[in-house]
Amino acid sequence: MTMADVKEDRKQQFSGEVVQVVSFRLGSEEYGVDIAQVQEIIRMVEITHVPRAPRFMEGVINLRGQLIPIIDLRTRFGMSRIASTKSTRIVVTEIGTKRVGMVVDSVSEVLNIPIENVEDAPEMIAGVGTEYIQGVGKMNDRLIIMLDLTMVISGEEKQQLDGVETQYAAS
Amino acid sequence: MSDELFNREEFISYFRDEAEELLQQIDADLLRLEEFVESGETDPEIVNSLFRALHTVKGSSGMLGFSDVQNLAHKLENLCDLLRKDRMPLSESCVDILFSGRDFLTDLVEVAIGDHEPPKGLDEYGARLDQFVAIYEETSHVIEGRTGPEQTFEEATAVESKSASVADVEAFEAEIARLLAEAELKRAQAPAPPPPAETVVSATMEVAPAPAVVPAAPEAADAKKAATEKAAPKRGSIHQTIRVDIERLDALLNLVGELVINRTRISDIANTLERLMADKSVGASTGIVAPLAKDLADSAALLARTTNEIQESIMKVRMVPIGQVFDRFPRLVRDVAKARGKEVLLNISGAETDLDKTIVDEVGEPLMHLLRNCVDHGIESPDAREASGKPRAGTISLNAYHEGNQIIIEVSDDGGGIDLDKVRARGIKQGLISAEDRLTDRELVELIFTPGFSTAEVISDVSGRGVGMDVVKKNITRLKGIFDVDSVAGQGTRFTIKLPLTLAIIQALLVRVVHELYAIPLDSVIESQRVEMRDVRTVHGNEVITLRGQVVPLLRIAEFFELDGTRDPDKVMIVIVGLQGRQVGLVVDSFEGEQEIVIKPLSDVVGRIAGISGATILGNGSISLIIDVHSLVSEAYVSGRVARAEFSGV
Repeated sequence: MTMADVKEDRKQQFSGEVVQVVSFRLGSEEYGVDIAQVQEIIRMVEITHVPRAPRFMEGVINLRGQLIPIIDLRTRFGMSRIASTKSTRIVVTEIGTKRVGMVVDSVSEVLNIPIENVEDAPEMIAGVGTEYIQGVGKMNDRLIIMLDLTMVISGEEKQQLDGVETQYAAS
Repeated sequence: MSDELFNREEFISYFRDEAEELLQQIDADLLRLEEFVESGETDPEIVNSLFRALHTVKGSSGMLGFSDVQNLAHKLENLCDLLRKDRMPLSESCVDILFSGRDFLTDLVEVAIGDHEPPKGLDEYGARLDQFVAIYEETSHVIEGRTGPEQTFEEATAVESKSASVADVEAFEAEIARLLAEAELKRAQAPAPPPPAETVVSATMEVAPAPAVVPAAPEAADAKKAATEKAAPKRGSIHQTIRVDIERLDALLNLVGELVINRTRISDIANTLERLMADKSVGASTGIVAPLAKDLADSAALLARTTNEIQESIMKVRMVPIGQVFDRFPRLVRDVAKARGKEVLLNISGAETDLDKTIVDEVGEPLMHLLRNCVDHGIESPDAREASGKPRAGTISLNAYHEGNQIIIEVSDDGGGIDLDKVRARGIKQGLISAEDRLTDRELVELIFTPGFSTAEVISDVSGRGVGMDVVKKNITRLKGIFDVDSVAGQGTRFTIKLPLTLAIIQALLVRVVHELYAIPLDSVIESQRVEMRDVRTVHGNEVITLRGQVVPLLRIAEFFELDGTRDPDKVMIVIVGLQGRQVGLVVDSFEGEQEIVIKPLSDVVGRIAGISGATILGNGSISLIIDVHSLVSEAYVSGRVARAEFSGV
């Protein structure tokens, strides 16, 4: 399967007339994730730092008795870090059996984007590698970068994890 | 029933569990049956139980289309039926053939549910089984009077001699003669004898193989249910149970954890309110508020009690009797003893002792190793035992009991004990110790836990133990248990395993490092100390302290975890942890007391992190990471963060 096929497949996932996405902001960019993958959106809480975790892994939070790992999307996408504000939110997503929270600047709304308005990702957007991007949705004059969460939580992290494993095995 | 309702995967998983249980029971029945071989009498209860178990296996496997399992179960069932109807005498060869049949059945079940290779020698076994059964089916014709006994016996031996030894054949001859005599006797004694031929014919009809119909799926579910229901109540003292996926229990436990946290909050609110009521200056103690506050306090107390009980109950649900593991050992001991030409009695006590399911699953392997060792190396040969004034049969005791928060499992034998001279000789030969080393008896015994101490040579040369002892110790340590051995030359050896009742809840020492709370499992903590900075020395640039004459290397957690902290220039707070006999001092910022904590694994998204084994949620809802002392210290050694000076030498 070529990369293009994979992308085509992913696009097929949005099989309805419209794509429902939860949109949020990181800096000046607007992003969206498939609403089916969003479990809930919570206010910023205290994050317990996990030493030696992959760099973009901010730590873990206690969500009603469950430990949820938290990814700082700014760090993940190589943007500068900012202090949390009143509008900072954690988008708790569920990808397969994994639950992951993502720290975002603010959550905007739920958008219904007509499927024909979703395009393939251009080569490079705002420093974010295209591997995280499922497509770009157009809404009036807004551009919504639609994220592929599976890639967001794997990829680089996998390499880092392998690194940890190797260290561990050596001990 | 729709296709959705018949979930094949689920049925297979159910079949596997059920088959495992039944095979275990078949084993137990066979072992009991074996005791009757000498008397030649058969206990009908045991044979019936055996028959039912095989019947259920046959039914379930047939339903799922596992025809190999079904066919073998069917044949074995036939054999049992002959026993049950007293048409076949109970003999050693009969029990043996049933035992091998049971083993093939186990293999076939694995082949059916997984992608294992089909077992070798099944065809030969099947042929042998057929012949074995055929002899006795022939015998029934003898009673029927169709042919002369001599002739039939010749036919029978002609078939059997292909695979059976002469001794077996001779046994058959005797058995058949006895059987004939008995049959005659019965006929004579019967008050109102029905026509003999008819009796036998109807019996033979029942034995005739039932058509192996594999019913269509939906009906099969019902058929299986019926079969299980039919068999279950007869099995006797089995409790009413239900199989639950352990993940569901874990989910339940998580929810209860949440409940506990909320309970704490409500109690806090009630307490705060009570304080405000008492405080006249606030002026809240007026009108209807007072009784409401009291109600809240009462409800909070009740909630607290109920929540605690729920939590305890769920922890108990995870507990299963260790007998689940013990059940397979009589067979193991029998087989090993037989193979080594030894006579061994296995005494099991405390099989009903409960412990956490996950530990039960893990403890089987090490125990199996120990028992095998006891038979192989501990118990002497019958002649040697007799010569030293012991009974010919050795005794191995397997005992389990609770002690405080732990379960103790003892495996002891009355064999020759560990020969320390030979262990020493072996240790020197393998270069583990030198000839000049003066080791205490205890240290010598410890040698058997050294990886590589045991080799194939040791098994034959030395009567000392050592086969995989290092592995046993490692497994026990991994379960946060303690493994100990006691041996008296000539009198026997006792292995003691101490395990925590559950791995899900542990006692921990909470410490603060920079501004995070960490939990250190109390089982690895030796002591905590406040040490003046001037008592801290350095060896090769690594910090050490001297504690009662012993040099203990220090490991600063803040630096290991790369936390931005500042060193206290005057004093250090140290938690001394023990690791495989070594001690390491973990430097923390403050001690925050002991607490019982519920271990939660860090999500697989975070991955495995050296030094962290999981996390726990504290009463106030905040998270504390649990330090994995083992990986923390070994990782620190590899990266050269702690002084090695102390460990140069053995």
